[in-house]
Amino acid sequence: MNPVDPIALEIFKNLFISVAEEMGVTLGRTAYSPNIKERRDFSCACFLADGRMIAQAAHIPVHLGAMPASVRAALESFSQWRPGDLVVLNDPYLGGTHLPDITMVSPVLVEGREDPPFFVASRAHHADVGGMSPGSMPLATEIYQEGLIIPPIKLIEAGRLNQAVFDLILRNVRTPAERRGDLAAQMAAHRVGEHRLQEIVAHYGLDQVLRFAGWLLAYAERMTRLAVERIPDGVYRFRDELDDDGFSAAGAGWSGRPESSVGSSAPVIQATITVQGDQMTVDFTGSSPAVIGPLNAVRAITESATWYVIRCLAGPDVPVNSGTFAPVTVVVPRGSLLDADPPHAVAAGNVETSQRIVDVVLGALAQALPDLIPAASQGTMNNLTIGGTDPERGTPFAYYETIGGGTGAGPAGPGLGGVHVHMTNTMNTPIEALEYAYPVRVRRYELRRGSGGGGRYRGGDGVIREIEFLCPATVTLLTERRRTAPYGLQGGEPGAPGRNLLIRQGKASDLPGKVQIRVEPGDILSVHTPGGGGWGSPSDHTEN
Amino acid sequence: MILGVDVGGTFTDLVLLDPHGQIRVHKLPTSVHDPSVAIWQGIADLGADPRAVVVHGTTVATNALLERRGARTALITTAGFRDVLEIGRQTRSELYALYPTRPVPLVPAPWRFEVPERMDRNGMVLTPLDLQETDAIVSRLMEEQIESVAVCFLFSFLNPTHERQVRERIVQPRGSSAPFVSLSCEVLPEYREYERTSTTVINAYVAPLISRYLTNLEEKLGERRLRVMQSNGGTISAEAARTHAAQTVLSGPAGGVMGAFAVARMAGLDQCITLDMGGTSTDVSLCPGRVQETAEGMITGLPLRLPMIDIHTIGAGGGSIARLDAGGALRVGPQSAGADPGPVCYGNARAQEITVTDANLVLGRLDADHFLGGRMKLDVERTRAYMEELARRLNLPLATAAWGVIRVVNSNMERAIRTISVERGYDPRRFTLVAFGGAGPLHACELAAALRIPRVLVPLHPGVLSALGMVLADAMKDYSQTVMLPAGQVSAEALQGLFHALQERARADLHAEGFDDTQIMFQPALDMRYVGQSYELTIPLVPQAGAAAGPSAPGIQEWVRAFHEAHRQRFSHADETEPVEIVNLRLKATGQSPKPRFLYEEPRDLDPRAAVIGQKAVYFAPDSLVPRPLPTTLYERQRLAPGHRLLGPALVVQLDATTLIPPDWAARVDGWRNLIIEPC
Repeated sequence: MNPVDPIALEIFKNLFISVAEEMGVTLGRTAYSPNIKERRDFSCACFLADGRMIAQAAHIPVHLGAMPASVRAALESFSQWRPGDLVVLNDPYLGGTHLPDITMVSPVLVEGREDPPFFVASRAHHADVGGMSPGSMPLATEIYQEGLIIPPIKLIEAGRLNQAVFDLILRNVRTPAERRGDLAAQMAAHRVGEHRLQEIVAHYGLDQVLRFAGWLLAYAERMTRLAVERIPDGVYRFRDELDDDGFSAAGAGWSGRPESSVGSSAPVIQATITVQGDQMTVDFTGSSPAVIGPLNAVRAITESATWYVIRCLAGPDVPVNSGTFAPVTVVVPRGSLLDADPPHAVAAGNVETSQRIVDVVLGALAQALPDLIPAASQGTMNNLTIGGTDPERGTPFAYYETIGGGTGAGPAGPGLGGVHVHMTNTMNTPIEALEYAYPVRVRRYELRRGSGGGGRYRGGDGVIREIEFLCPATVTLLTERRRTAPYGLQGGEPGAPGRNLLIRQGKASDLPGKVQIRVEPGDILSVHTPGGGGWGSPSDHTEN
Repeated sequence: MILGVDVGGTFTDLVLLDPHGQIRVHKLPTSVHDPSVAIWQGIADLGADPRAVVVHGTTVATNALLERRGARTALITTAGFRDVLEIGRQTRSELYALYPTRPVPLVPAPWRFEVPERMDRNGMVLTPLDLQETDAIVSRLMEEQIESVAVCFLFSFLNPTHERQVRERIVQPRGSSAPFVSLSCEVLPEYREYERTSTTVINAYVAPLISRYLTNLEEKLGERRLRVMQSNGGTISAEAARTHAAQTVLSGPAGGVMGAFAVARMAGLDQCITLDMGGTSTDVSLCPGRVQETAEGMITGLPLRLPMIDIHTIGAGGGSIARLDAGGALRVGPQSAGADPGPVCYGNARAQEITVTDANLVLGRLDADHFLGGRMKLDVERTRAYMEELARRLNLPLATAAWGVIRVVNSNMERAIRTISVERGYDPRRFTLVAFGGAGPLHACELAAALRIPRVLVPLHPGVLSALGMVLADAMKDYSQTVMLPAGQVSAEALQGLFHALQERARADLHAEGFDDTQIMFQPALDMRYVGQSYELTIPLVPQAGAAAGPSAPGIQEWVRAFHEAHRQRFSHADETEPVEIVNLRLKATGQSPKPRFLYEEPRDLDPRAAVIGQKAVYFAPDSLVPRPLPTTLYERQRLAPGHRLLGPALVVQLDATTLIPPDWAARVDGWRNLIIEPC
C-alpha cells in the first residue's frame, strides 16, 4: 500500500484550509474597521503543537512567515496551556512585524490529552495602536514613538479576560471602541477555529488527524522541492538599494530630524542564493546595518518576503504550510536592516523594505532562471496618510491609502499597470467614496503612460493620482523607488522611478520620498508611482 | 399557457405549463449556429398554443463576455479618469504568481475617451461639459465604427445632465443609425465609479448582440409574446431587455434557483439549499425561506452590480477530470472534459482522462443501459481500462480509486455549501438539499450526510429546472439611487418624495409591459451603514401593494432600528448611539401574473414494485473508506407515483438524471412526485 493516501491528502487539504478560512470569515464579518473588513488586511492559520503551520488563509503575503514567528514566541513565553487561554502580542521583537499588526494565538485542547495538539492564530492590521501619529505609521526613529508595544500576554486565561490588560491597551489607542470591536472579532475567530479543529478530531480521531497533518506538510515540502530542483545548481548574487533611510534625503523627515542620520543614505540589500539540488540557502550577508528611520525589518518580514518568492515559483497548487519553508534556509545578519534590534523603528519595514527584499531575491534568481523570472515591479506601496479637521463637519479625520503601480515584464509578456505588487494586494478607495467622506477632491487617477520600462516586453505603467485639498491638512508620504528605478532584465530598460509633487498655485515642486508636510486649501498632491521594469532587448521588439 | 425555454450550450430545455397545472417537458440538442431553430422545433414537438407567452433564458450575453466577443464598444469618462476601468480596485487576481493577471477590460485604451466636465459630491457642476470636445469624440467614434458607447461621469447619479447631453450629441444627428448608448446614470445610478463604469460597459458590450438575437427570435416566433429571464430571477419584455441587456447575464442559473425554490416551497420545505451539478460546474444557493439576492455580482472577473440571485459556483461537475498531481494528491477539477471530448465512457477516442461521471459508472451508480433514457450507450469496458490505469498510479484497488474520485469531488462541493451556509451563520442541519442538474441527484445524499443535512429533495424533472423557473417567474424590475443622507437629519417626507420618483418610473415601465396597478407590487428597501463604514446592509420593508411605497407608515426610526437589528444579526454587534447614513434607495417592482397550481395527487399507500426495472451491484462505502458492492434495486422514475416508498440502496433512473439512494436512506414520492429522501 502507498504510505500516503492521495485521496485523504486532498480531502484534508480542503479540511484544514477551511478551518483557517472559516476563522477568516468570522474575523472579517464581525470586525469594526474598514481596514479589516473591506481591505482584508488580516490572516488566520492553524498550527501543530511544535509550531509548524498546517494551513493559512492569507490575504496579505507579508503575513506568510510572520505567523509562525508569533506562535513560536507564544510557545516560548508560556509552557502551561488551559482551555480558553488566548495570547495577544504585537512586539516586532517578540513575534510581531510592526505594531499595528496585532496577533492572537490560542491552544486547541482535545479530550483525553493534557497538552494542546494544535494552536490557532490570527493577525489583523489595526487602524491605530497609539504612538506619535494617527494610524501608527509615523516617520519615527524609535519603536516607542510608533505606538503601544504588547509583548506576549495571556489576555484570556482559562476563559477569563484580563480586564486590566485590556483596559490598558484600549487607553493607549486613539479609537478605543473600534479597537475593542476588532479585538473581539479576532477572539470570535479563535473560538470558531478551536471548535472546528475539535470537531475534526472528534470525527477522525486525533492520531489520524495528526498523521494527515504530517502528510500535508510533507506534500507541500515535496512540491516546493520540485520547484527548487528546477533551479540550476549554483551561487547567485544580487544587490539593490532603498532610496534612503527616511531622514537623509534633502528636505525629508520633519524639521527636528537628528543630524547624525545625514549621510547614511541608500541602505543596501544584498542576497546570495546557493542552490544545491532541492535545497536552497538565501543569505542576506552584506546588507546594511539597521537605519535610523522606520525602514527596518524584523527577521520574520525578511523570511516572509523570501518565502513569498518561493511560493510564486512553486505555483498556486501548493498548500500554504510550514512544509514549503523546509527546503529554504534564510540567513540574516543580526542587527542589520533585515533583522533589526530594539529599539529601532520598524513601521515601514513591513510595507516598503519587504518589497525590496522581494526585488533582490528575484534579481538573484533571474540569473539562474533567465527564461522565467520577471523584471522588478514598482517595489513600493506608496503609503499616503492625510490628517486634519473637516471644516464642514468640524471633526478630525485621518485617511490612509496605498497606491498601485506597474509590474515587471517577463518572458511571458508585458507587465500590468496600476496594480498592487508582491507583498500587498489591498483595494483602493473609490474616488466618489473618498470625496463623500473627506475634504479632498481627486483630480486625476490614470495610468502613467510610458513609465513602464521598454524592452521586448514593456513593464506595466505606474499611476498618477492627484488629490486636491479642500482644507489645511498634514500629509505623510512613505514611498520608495523615487531615486532607484525598478530594474529591467535581459536587456530590458528599468521602469521610471516614482515622483511626488506638490502643486501650489499652479507651480509644481518635487517632494522627497518620505516626508511630512502641511498643505493648504487648493494645494494638489500629485503622486506618480513607479513603472515596472522591461524585459528583453528593445531591438527584439517584435511581439509586443 | 406559458412556455419556458432555456437555451444551454448543449441542450435546449422546454417546459410548458397549461392552465390546469399540467406540465410537459422537452429536451433537444441546441442548434448552435441559430438557437431559434431548436426552439422552433421544440415548440412544434410540444404542440404549444401559438398564443403562449414564451419566457426565454439565453446565454448570448454570458458567452459574449466569456469569449470576449461583444460589440465594438467605446467609453467616455470625466477628464482624468479614463483608466478607472482598467485600474479597477488596483488588486491582482492571484496573491502568489510570478505573472499576476487581471481581467482584460472590455474597452481597450484607444477607445476610452475623456471629456472635460465635473460634478462635486452634491451634484453641483464644477466644470461644465465641453460640448466641442464631446462632438470631436463623437466623430472619432463614427470613424472607428463603434457599435456601442458607455458614458460614465463622476457623481452622475446625483446629476445626470452631462451624461444625457452626451447621448443627445450622439443620437440626435444620426437617429436610428446612431450607436447604442448606455448611460451610467440609468444603468446603475449608484456611487463607486469603478463598479458603475464596469456595469455600464458590460451593458454596452452585450446590448447590440442581445438586440440582434431577440429580433431574429421574434421574427421566428410570430405572434407569441416574448419575455426574457434576468439574473434577478424575474422576467422583462424583449423590448426592455434590449436596453437593459446586462440583466440577462447569468439568467440560466437564476432560473434554476427559482425553479428549485418554487418546487421546495410547494413541498413545504422552503428552508433549502439548491445544488445544481452540471457537466463542468456546480451552482449552490442558500434559500432561507426566500431566494436571496446579492449586489456583489461578478462575471468573468468584472463587477456587474445589478441585483442578482446569490449563487456560488465552483468548478466541479460530472465532467471534472481526476489527476494525480506532482505532490501525490488526487485532484478533481476544475479542468473539465466538457462536451468535447467528454468523459471516457462517452467513447470519444480523445477522451482519455477519468472524470467524475466515469467514476460513477465504474461504481455502478450510472446504468450503462439507461443513460439519457437509453439514447446514449456508455462504454463500460473502456472506462474500466482507464480507471485501472489511474488506480495503478494511486496504488489502490479499482473501486477504491473510483470512490476516491467521488470523495474528492464531494469534499469540494461540501466546502462550497459550507461557504454559503456555515460561513454566513446558517446551520445546514436546518435545511433541505434540493438536487438537480444532470449529476446533482447522484451525489446529493452522500453530500447531505457529510454536512448532516437531514433531507434531500429531487424534483420530478431535475434536468429542466431552469426552464421551469422561467415559467414560474414574475416580471421584475429593480431601481436604485444613491442619496447619501444622514438618517438622523432626513425627514420621512423627503425620503418618501425620493421613493415616489422611483415608483412612478417603475409604474410607467410595468404599464408599458401590460400590467395594471392591481398586479404591481413594490418592495422598497434602504441600503444603510454606520457613518465611516464602507459597506452597506440592505434593509427591506414588507412588500406593499399598489399605491404607496416608502417610509410613510413606519417612520425613519423604524428603518434605523431595523438596521441596528440587521447589523447585529449579520456581524454580531450593533451600536445604537452611532450615527447611521442612508446610502441607496432601492425599489423592486413586480408585475404578477396568475400562475396555475401544479397538479397535486394525494399520496396513496402503493407498492413500488411496479416501478422496478432491475437489480444491479452498486458500490457503497458506509465507513466512507472501502467501497463494497451491494445488491441495489433499479426504479424507473416515470413509473413512480405519489405515496411510493423506496428503501436504499436504490437507483432511480430517468431521462436526464439518476438519483442514488444509499443504504440506510429511504425515499418517498410526494403529491407533486418529488422524491423526498431521508436517513432511516
